[in-house]
Amino acid sequence: MVWKSFRPLLLCTLVVGVGLLADVRAMAAPETARATIVRAILTSDDAQKHTIINSLIGQGDEAIREIFTAWRQDNLYIYTAPNGAKIPVELTGDKDADGTQAAVRVDSGEPLKDASGQPLRLVAKQLTAVEHDASLRRVMKNVVDLLDLGSPLPAKRLRAVQTIGFAQKADKLPVLEARTGIETDTEIKKELREAIALIHLADPDDGVKIKALVVLQELHNSSSYDLINALRAKAEKDNKPAVTAAAHSALLAIDHHRSVVKFFGTLFRGLSAGSVLLVVALGLAITFGLMGVINMAHGEMITVGAYATYITQNVFGAGMNFTLPFIKIAIHLPGLHLTGWAYQLYFLVAIPIGFLSAALVGIALERSVIRFLYRRPLESLLATFGVSLILQQMFKLTFGSNNVNVDSPVYLSSNWTVFDVTFDWNRVFVIGFAVVIVFGVWLALTKTPLGLLIRCVMQNRMMASCMGVRTERVNMLTFGLGSGLAGLAGVFVTQLGTVGPSMGQEYIVDSFMTVVVGGVGSIFGTVVSALGIGLTDQSLQQILLNPVLGKILVLLAIILFLQWRPTGLFSARSRSLD
Amino acid sequence: MITKFSKLLGAGVIALSALVGSARAADTVKVGVLHDLSGTMAISETSLRDVLLFTFDEINAKGGVLGKKIVPVIVDPGSVWPAFAEKSKQLLEVDKVAVTFGCWTSVSRKSALPVFEKDNGLLFYPVQYEGEEESQNVCYTAEAVNQQAIPAVDFFIAQGKKKFYLIGTDYVYPQTTNLVLLEYLLSKGVPLANIGGGFVKDSSGKITNAGKYTPFGHKDYQQIIAEIKDFAASGDACVISTLNGDTNPPFFKEYAAAGLTADTCPVVSYSIAEDEFRSLPAKDLVGQIGCWTYFQSIDSPENAKFLAAFQAWLKTTKADGVVKEGRVVDSPMVLSYDGVYLWKACVEKAGSFDVDKVRAVWKSGISFVGPGGKVTTQPNMHLTKTVYIGESKADGQFKILKTFPDVYGEPHLKGTFKPKE
Repeated sequence: MVWKSFRPLLLCTLVVGVGLLADVRAMAAPETARATIVRAILTSDDAQKHTIINSLIGQGDEAIREIFTAWRQDNLYIYTAPNGAKIPVELTGDKDADGTQAAVRVDSGEPLKDASGQPLRLVAKQLTAVEHDASLRRVMKNVVDLLDLGSPLPAKRLRAVQTIGFAQKADKLPVLEARTGIETDTEIKKELREAIALIHLADPDDGVKIKALVVLQELHNSSSYDLINALRAKAEKDNKPAVTAAAHSALLAIDHHRSVVKFFGTLFRGLSAGSVLLVVALGLAITFGLMGVINMAHGEMITVGAYATYITQNVFGAGMNFTLPFIKIAIHLPGLHLTGWAYQLYFLVAIPIGFLSAALVGIALERSVIRFLYRRPLESLLATFGVSLILQQMFKLTFGSNNVNVDSPVYLSSNWTVFDVTFDWNRVFVIGFAVVIVFGVWLALTKTPLGLLIRCVMQNRMMASCMGVRTERVNMLTFGLGSGLAGLAGVFVTQLGTVGPSMGQEYIVDSFMTVVVGGVGSIFGTVVSALGIGLTDQSLQQILLNPVLGKILVLLAIILFLQWRPTGLFSARSRSLD
Repeated sequence: MITKFSKLLGAGVIALSALVGSARAADTVKVGVLHDLSGTMAISETSLRDVLLFTFDEINAKGGVLGKKIVPVIVDPGSVWPAFAEKSKQLLEVDKVAVTFGCWTSVSRKSALPVFEKDNGLLFYPVQYEGEEESQNVCYTAEAVNQQAIPAVDFFIAQGKKKFYLIGTDYVYPQTTNLVLLEYLLSKGVPLANIGGGFVKDSSGKITNAGKYTPFGHKDYQQIIAEIKDFAASGDACVISTLNGDTNPPFFKEYAAAGLTADTCPVVSYSIAEDEFRSLPAKDLVGQIGCWTYFQSIDSPENAKFLAAFQAWLKTTKADGVVKEGRVVDSPMVLSYDGVYLWKACVEKAGSFDVDKVRAVWKSGISFVGPGGKVTTQPNMHLTKTVYIGESKADGQFKILKTFPDVYGEPHLKGTFKPKE
């Protein structure tokens, strides 16, 4: 009885079960991403290979990225099994003494095993490598880009959306529209709108095109300029005034946006170029401007600061050895072997070190040479020029004639993009750095007892001496301060280029130019002239699109200006200068 | 009487000195080395001096050339271009060298050239250059434009790049190369609007200058990078750079800070090889493209042997001023090395050091399998060789992406490409 009543049920279950099985088989029929890739690898025909890989588009399997990365990095090989079957494998892990590596089957992601079930280890050189070329890599990248649409990293999503938009393929529209519904990042939402509009541009229907152009006009992003321009040219040829007009106004909007971006960008770049000039010239404004020493070795003080940064970087890293020339003292600096953020701090630590080392060299220079020449400015020019040559050769003998590189710390090597204007962090840093230094110098000169002494000695050395001021000591400290400021400049300029024995020479002319235009003896004048020269230089470059011509015009303007006002912008009256 | 006697004496002295000379010349041959060992170019050219000395030692250890040991005569023009002419004169007329290996910049070659042509000397020139020259007194082992600049452009076109920004240092090599590249790009159907950097046109509207130029030692690339960023906004642009060595660090530091990468806007630099990387921020340059006829990473027995021998020589050499640590080799160094062996092969086939005979053998086509693969001499004084395209890695080496075997060196390219209709 019990059995009987159960029989139909059992039968039922069986039928359903078979049906389910069939269903599973039907669902398995579109092969897995791994299987598809294996098929692509084993195909010899390039075009077919591309088609197979393209069929992966839309799949979200992370294995695709993994295998493609291995492919691009030459880690995929074809293993021929004893029965002749070709099995693509990825070789991973370190090589052992025989050069063998662990092998992972591409089709399953499992380790490759021999007949007895033991994992096989293979030697790369004995296998056939799976080749790839630029066009294949591009196809793979396209698939990975679409994978990136679902990436948790906004930057990757952004790039993926852009790539799809520029490709203008209508079949990608559903993917983008689906994404628009779930995307939360405003930046990417904007980019999605743009990408969809760009794809619509390629639509055969003019109405869709015009609607897309209106969206693009509203977004006014310069990246869509080329595509719109091409469309306009085509519409003009095909005599479609409505599309042409819409494209034209979209282009105008982008052009307008571009000019606004250019204006603010140039303003920022001018400020930063001016700040570099200011940082570089401020030390000279003190040694030459206040003290009246024509210091041709100013550039080498910058170099001292730069090499101090280089040494600091090495001490934070692996350490360094060098030999001081002539005295033949070998210096061994052990490295701290720091990594991560602790290592990145080297640049901040280098700032005081750069200041102090350049200040010490400056004080030594003042004590040994310059103090004998305060009354003979022309001879101080010759003497400091000689010192500059000697120092350059010393750098060469100590650190070698090859330029060395100081890494950019992470906090100085990226940027903010606000309304399409790029603010490089190193440039923002130099503006802030300049403000801090100028403020510091102003405080030191006007609010401290030493500052008072400096000002009175510089105005009249004899009189100050008669009043009991130890002018020798004040001279020494002032020159040290000026040199130290040059050292600070040296720390910063490592972020703009490389460090080399004669790098100081590149800055000496700019420094004198800035100080002279500003008015010898006036720190405020130096600030104004540095910013002025920086802004003029960058604006001229922007207008003329030619860096050489811009520079020539700036120099010409300065010569004319000095004809008109030989004492510079702000002439300080001081007896020592008369 | 006195005059007769002095004449006789003079003749005797000359005969005697000739005798002594020939006695010494019997087992040695003088070879000139004309590279800057001081001044701005010393950084690059000292490496070439080193590799030449290494090659001479290697050849001498195996019995020399035609049984004669090579004696290098090293002169230093000090990065002063007119000094190349003076030093060439000294090498050819005073030292009477059989052959000279030298020059780096095109301007130095142009300065030395008239002297070599007047005295019928032979100069081996190993550094990539702008072409448009074919002197009978120069063996150009260097890359011609079609062996470096054009394959790299082809590579970018194959990668789907549509916009090309040209930038270079303001002198003859970048200016000439960019004009040739402009013609080439136009011939490939790239519209003028997609070529960035700007143009200068003469009164008839003919383009006389293409690309953006900055002076030697230029440091402020902010404005140019902003322009490139705008140019590359559409994601299909690349930069073709002929910037000279020391302007590259500021350029690339600015490039990285502005958020540009090899993915968004790759740069091919014709003047950056492994040796230059020693003073560049290599991690900012990962994925950028180089195109040369040799990379240190080439996996061949000849290259492995060459690298091992050079490193061993560095350890033992007693030559002055050779830096021993952290040395790498690059294309100009290997082309110097190939040059010496090609000269040796030519001399041995000619059975003489005579310049005319050596040149005749060169023109007949001589091959040498060097570290970068087989090189073959051509009647137009250039070399057929293999061109490689590589991608830079964080350690300053290149991963080879593409190889073009046996590319014929063609110096005269200007005007050969016709714009696509």
